[in-house]
Amino acid sequence: MANPGGGAVCNGNLHNHKKQSNGSQSGNCRKNGIIKEDQQNGKPHCYKQIVESFEEPPLHVMVFTYLGYGIGTLFGHFRDFLRKCGIEKCNTAIEREKQRDFVPLYQDFENFYTRNLYMRIRDNWNRPICSAPGPQFDIMERVSDDYNWTFRFTGRTIKDVINMGSYNFLGLAARYDESMRTIKEVLEVYGTGVSSTRQEMGTLDKHKELEDLVAKFLNVEAAMVFGMGFATNSMNIPALVGKGCLILSDELNHASLVLGARLSGATIRVFKHNNSQNLEMLLKDAVIYGQPRTHRAWKKILILVEGIYSMEGSILHLPQIVALKNKYKAYLYIDEAHSIGAVGPTGRGVVDFFGMDPREIDVLMGTFTKSFGAAGGYIAGRKDLVDYLRANSHSAAYATSMSPPISEKIITSIKFLMGDDGSTQGLQRIQQLAKNTRYFRKKLSEMGFIVYGNEKSPVVPVLLYMPGKVAAFARSLLQKKIGVVVVGFPATPLAEARARFCISAAHTRKNLNTVLEALDEIGDLLQLKYSRHRKSMRREPYEETSFELDD
Amino acid sequence: MNVGTAHSEVNPNTRVMNSRGIWLSYVLAIGLLHVVLLSIPFGMYIFLHTVKGTPFETPDQGKARLLTHWEQMDYGVQFTASRKFLTITPIVLYFLTSFYTKYDQIHFVLNTVSLMSVLIPKLPQLHGVRIFGINKY
Repeated sequence: MANPGGGAVCNGNLHNHKKQSNGSQSGNCRKNGIIKEDQQNGKPHCYKQIVESFEEPPLHVMVFTYLGYGIGTLFGHFRDFLRKCGIEKCNTAIEREKQRDFVPLYQDFENFYTRNLYMRIRDNWNRPICSAPGPQFDIMERVSDDYNWTFRFTGRTIKDVINMGSYNFLGLAARYDESMRTIKEVLEVYGTGVSSTRQEMGTLDKHKELEDLVAKFLNVEAAMVFGMGFATNSMNIPALVGKGCLILSDELNHASLVLGARLSGATIRVFKHNNSQNLEMLLKDAVIYGQPRTHRAWKKILILVEGIYSMEGSILHLPQIVALKNKYKAYLYIDEAHSIGAVGPTGRGVVDFFGMDPREIDVLMGTFTKSFGAAGGYIAGRKDLVDYLRANSHSAAYATSMSPPISEKIITSIKFLMGDDGSTQGLQRIQQLAKNTRYFRKKLSEMGFIVYGNEKSPVVPVLLYMPGKVAAFARSLLQKKIGVVVVGFPATPLAEARARFCISAAHTRKNLNTVLEALDEIGDLLQLKYSRHRKSMRREPYEETSFELDD
Repeated sequence: MNVGTAHSEVNPNTRVMNSRGIWLSYVLAIGLLHVVLLSIPFGMYIFLHTVKGTPFETPDQGKARLLTHWEQMDYGVQFTASRKFLTITPIVLYFLTSFYTKYDQIHFVLNTVSLMSVLIPKLPQLHGVRIFGINKY
């Protein structure tokens, strides 16, 4: 809580609440959009120290990774040759005999990777689960008799597998218990389906209640909710920008943002991930040179970023981006799918994490799928923006609105987080998530794994690099009753296959220790500890950079 | 829209040759196979200039299906670092093989022919050119 005089880190807590409750009176004086120093305490406006790492592995690891893919490719060609000769049985779909002379529907080569590399290890994905995705869950056991071409369920379930893959940051995706009573009541009164779009007959009082609550939670003027998180992005960005506008989108943006940007018809320019120098260069070019041939000014410049990037675990550098946006007069759209409810001292997302004013962001978007245990998305901001979207969003006109029990679940979750039900359990969960995150990340880097991302991000990618290790890692962890998500090429860059852990507030210390022990063992067996910055086990004095959480 | 990917690169094939460590792997692989057999330029020719398209589906609606890997590299931009590297390596290999075979006449002819067959498709004038319609579709 103590504010070290002129120190690098500023406690966000007390400072925050003052800003949020007073609203307009904040002591910031704006001149050309550049915020001058906060005059409240006479202390300079201090930004949170951003600690993130994207360590590169030793070169021999990359060489072996490429050799691995190379040998896989050679064997793939060999097997394709055998299949063509008829020596090996062909399990994929092939053209019918009668249509052999027609122009082929698909090019064989495009499925090369799927056929020869993915098929061998595809038992690690699409695993069906049969319980709520809480901190532990049950997986249906399945085996394959023909090397993963077909699967067969044995009928048994693997019980109590530790869940390190679900985006269940606050542990709210759990089975029914008495605190969810109101959801049952809403289900009894409203049923499940709405059977209409928002603009026709599909706006319920539950939606209005939810939207007011979301606006209050985020401390903005108004909000609108949609039935599907992906559709929130892809249907609303075209309503906000169009031809003649410029979209500056981060390299690693999610497919929904990319789709929305392409559907809008605006010009898209990509800037390097989280790199504000690159963004500034693009902004300068855009403002100086205007549109490509006519050199007219752009109608609008919209910067599309995410709060937490789920594959890298990096947190957006919000203060720099907001400073740039104010300087060059662009608009900012933040997709807080992974950060709402998961970061920030009160769980209000990346804006709260940096202690900034939500009114500085033009469009705040988020989803309810990750931290709230429901489904759907929202867009929040100024009232005239939200009113415009109510009339012009494609989702409002064509897509069915959110189901009532799900709206009630979100209402319950938000009230829980804000402490409206009288308890501090919500805040405790947020703090537990932060504690778990710090503990897990610290232990992983001490063990010597290469972990990407910000040290406070609950999404933890551990790099595996080689395609063979990806499969071995996932399978051996399942044998130890731990479920993880692994990703490889082409979802990630060629040589950066990784396993992505999602920490939950519902994980107990015992769960995490079980996982860490298993990782230690498998890391030694598979030689995954590539990091060259092993921290010493001894705690250095003055290592603590924040004083708000007690360990 | 890149379904299921975490980056906005439409065709990852174009960036493969720019990845960290791949030049070293390429040299090592050639060195290893060079010891085994001396017909590496032929192997490289097939993989770079004959095989077309991508081994995975891309969201670019098939624009790369008619292009060989060489043509796909860096989205068709000529004279990038990777292209220069891949042009110089066969030349170095040529010098090495000429030296090993002690400038024997038959070997010289074979080596020169294989070098030309690998160098000519790399010229920017031959970007997308299909002689006699071979390998067009």
